[in-house]
Formats: sequence, structure tokens, C-alpha cells
Amino acid sequence: MPPSDYTVAPRPEPTQPCRIIEGYAQTAWRNPSQPLQRRPLTWSELTGPRRHATRLSQLGADVAGYDTAQALGQLILVRLAVVDEDGAPVPGTMIEMWQANSAGRYVHPNDSDHAPIDPHFYGAARVLADDSGRIEIRTIKPGAYPVPDTGKWWRPPHIHFSVWGRVWLSRLVTQMYFPGEPLNAQDRIFNAVPDHDARERLIARALPPTEGPDNALVFEHRIVVRGRRATPTQP
Amino acid sequence: MSQCVPTASATIGPFFPERYVDANANDLTVLEGRPARGEIIEIQGRVTQHDGRPLHNVVLEIWQADANGIFNDPIDPRAAQADPNFYGWGRAATDRDGSFRFRTIKPGAYSMPDGLQRAPHINVVVLYSGLMRELQTVLYFADEAGNDRDAVLNGVQPAELRSRLIATKEAPARYRFDVRLRGEDETPFFDD
Repeated sequence: MPPSDYTVAPRPEPTQPCRIIEGYAQTAWRNPSQPLQRRPLTWSELTGPRRHATRLSQLGADVAGYDTAQALGQLILVRLAVVDEDGAPVPGTMIEMWQANSAGRYVHPNDSDHAPIDPHFYGAARVLADDSGRIEIRTIKPGAYPVPDTGKWWRPPHIHFSVWGRVWLSRLVTQMYFPGEPLNAQDRIFNAVPDHDARERLIARALPPTEGPDNALVFEHRIVVRGRRATPTQP
Repeated sequence: MSQCVPTASATIGPFFPERYVDANANDLTVLEGRPARGEIIEIQGRVTQHDGRPLHNVVLEIWQADANGIFNDPIDPRAAQADPNFYGWGRAATDRDGSFRFRTIKPGAYSMPDGLQRAPHINVVVLYSGLMRELQTVLYFADEAGNDRDAVLNGVQPAELRSRLIATKEAPARYRFDVRLRGEDETPFFDD
């Protein structure tokens, strides 16, 4: 019997990415060669940090800016919902997002791409989810960019998310993709997930333009973090 | 409620914003200006890849109990006695030399209701470019007799790998924990 009424089970293997990816050399240098260890779960793995605001400063959910300080690119709203494996919202979880600018360039010393920096775009938000596990980020659609030193492949437009979830083992770093992007089909990172449905769930849903504000397209996305109640609640 | 499958993880990539590694994110000894209880310790280490090359900008995050072995989360049955000034979580990034550093409180031991024993330990997750899934490991302390009874450490097979999870004591209150992602002396990692 699990020690806690909130527990974490192994993820179905094909729904998670392969660790070693052809054409992505770093994966072969940095992933363990030895079999991974299994362990019994105790409070250590089945608890996690709470009251994030006491420790982590927030960076606003408006990444795009306004007026003369507005980022270049197509304005979008990303509505993100974080739930656990029961489909229950994860209220107050901390979420970090980061992305390239509309030309496919990150504000980071590691990015030596030729695409230009946008002085009005840093491309990062760190936000606490509300009581229903939701945040809305106002940003611009990221551009695609070529992956250096790997031959010919490009990263399609994508947004990175880092989510704390409920407990230590629910910590998740993932990427969100956009529907209808031709480059999704050749992306080695997106396609590293063997299961078709699990891959498709990484793609945000575009709301019909009639349902959003006048000046922005809206994308909805759901992130499922690990963890569920061990005993289903009786009705 | 409906059953949902956890979202596929992905690499943190090479462009994790520098603003997310705040200057004091690796210091767990103070929360909102108030000091945590317990012995202040420093942990240093170096992260290397298959060929021994040190890695720059590796993100390491830790989660641990307070000085009395209590987690600051209501899931822990003793949470009401948890140190209110100890958040328990921290983050560091490696420098060009592959080195990272945490300043924290030496965690306490605890036991589970079913009798499983846990020696003082710190959970460590490694996030980096080339890692499509997070790598989970655990740090133990060389000067803890309870290591012999720890339910996780003693499940590591083969047994000779266990010493790689034990941080060495370099000085009073200073420990070293090197992380080898792949290759000779590879750090044992966990899959849960």
C-alpha cells in the first residue's frame, strides 16, 4: 500500500521521449549508460515545496509589452491549465515559460544564431497558477530556428514550460507546439515521443478567431503532471 | 475523475533564462529574511559528461527535509512541526568549470509509518540540454551512521554503486558531491 493518499506511479513508457536521439549528439554524451535504479517512495519523493511566493520572485505573465515597447511578432494568448493524473487542477503551482522571439532567437549567451534580438522581448514569464491551476500568458508567437551543428533540422515554433506540480516527483519540464506547423513533422525532439497520441497532446489547440480578442489569437494547452489520489474519493 | 496520462517531458535546452537562476536560489538557509533552524552546510560538486568534460549551465534542483527530518508540506504527517523558515527547495546552475554550490541545512532522518528508514539525504534533479527526461538522484552524507539502514540507498544495485551517492566531507560543514552523467564512475540515477 502506498504510504500517502497522494502517490506517483511510473509513466507509461511510450508516452515519454526516447533518451537517445539520432542527430542530437548531446543525448548520447549525457544520458546514463547504466540501468536506472528503482526505489521505494517515502515522504521525500511524495512531498514538494509549497507557498512558492515566499521563495520565488514572479516575472509577469505579459511577455509581449505594449505601445512603443511591444515585441515584434504576432500577438498570442496562451491559456495553460495544469492538472494531475486524476484531471484535478493543481492550484497555486509555479510555472516558468521561456521562448524564442518572432525571429527564432533567444535572449541567452548560448544563442549565437544570426537572427536578430528584439529589444522589447526577453521571452520569459514565471507565474503562480490560480486556484484552478490556470495561467494566461500574453506573448508573441515564437519563430522557428535551425539547430546548430546537427545537419539540417529546425526547431518548429515552440514554448518551454517548467512546472512544479504537487510533489517532488511531479516536477516537469516540457515543450508546447503549435497546430498546423509543417516543421513539427521533422523535429527530432517532438518526434522522440513514440506514442502518437502523447505527441499530439504536446500541440496546443487554437481557438477559433471569433472567440478571442480582436488583436490576438488564443491557444489553449493542458499540462498533466504526475500524481493522483491513491484511493478514489467515494461519491 | 478521468484518468490523464502525464505530459511528455522534454529537454530544458540550452537557453534556460538566466533570470531563473536567481543569485540566492542556491541558498536555502534563509527564507524572507528569517534563518532556518539547524546546521548550515555547504555542498559543492562538478557535473561532467561521458568524456569527463565539465558541463556549463547545468540546472540542478534539490528538495529536502528540515533539520528534524520534516517536509514543509501538509502531506508529511509531521508538517505542523516543520520549520516555517525552511522552504526545502533550491536551484543552482553550473559555472564554466562545471561546478555548482548549495548552501543549506543538514536534513534530519525520519522513518515511515511502515518502518522504512531514511537517513539524512537530499533529492537532486538534473536538467540539461540533451536530457529529454529529468535525471533524479539522491545525495547522502559520509558522516551518517544511518546510511546503512536507508531504504533507498540500500536498494541501489549493484551494491558497490552506493558509495557514489555519498557526499564526501571536505571540511567541517562542507561536502563534495560530483555528478557524472555518463561514463566511468557514472552516478546512479533513479526512475520512479
